Amino acid sequence: MKPAMITPAEIAALIRVALPDATVEASDWSGTGDHYDVHVASDGFRGVSLLDQHRMVYAAVDAALKDGRLHAIQIKTETKG
Amino acid sequence: MANDLKTTIESEIKGSKILVYGKGTKTAPRCGFTLETIQFFDALGYPFEVIDVLADDEKRRALSDMTNWPTLPKVFIGGTFYGDTDILGPMRDSGELDKLLEDAFKEKV
Repeated sequence: MKPAMITPAEIAALIRVALPDATVEASDWSGTGDHYDVHVASDGFRGVSLLDQHRMVYAAVDAALKDGRLHAIQIKTETKG
Repeated sequence: MANDLKTTIESEIKGSKILVYGKGTKTAPRCGFTLETIQFFDALGYPFEVIDVLADDEKRRALSDMTNWPTLPKVFIGGTFYGDTDILGPMRDSGELDKLLEDAFKEKV
């Protein structure tokens, strides 16, 4: 059975647990609700390598990746402020 | 984690200047992101290798542990982990990737 999909608002909420100031834009590019383009802007990325910025986003959505609600994301990060 | 597996991975990483762990092969990619990564490196013109780990859960887990990175594909250049095209795209645009590849291919394997 296909696991329930995840909404852009739920993705944003997960990311804001880790990065409370984050501006998150999530768009479903597959039409199936489990492949997302995620654009995250946060001050929490300041001084952090791009690789680690992406690790922070992956860690924030880890539960959704593990339970299958989210299959894959394309991440774009930006330092805010 | 089996140490043998880690040793295998380490020698694979050392064996190619550009190495992609992905889903499927170069000629038959089985995932959109793996295909995108293959196209990315095709366009750059340097030789690269793709290792299919789609069906090897144990190796996928070992790779995720070693890199602290949950998803495939995973790209190694000159033995160092660089994430995926979400990282390499901005690096290409800034010119950083060109420099890195030049250096990687200057040295002997």
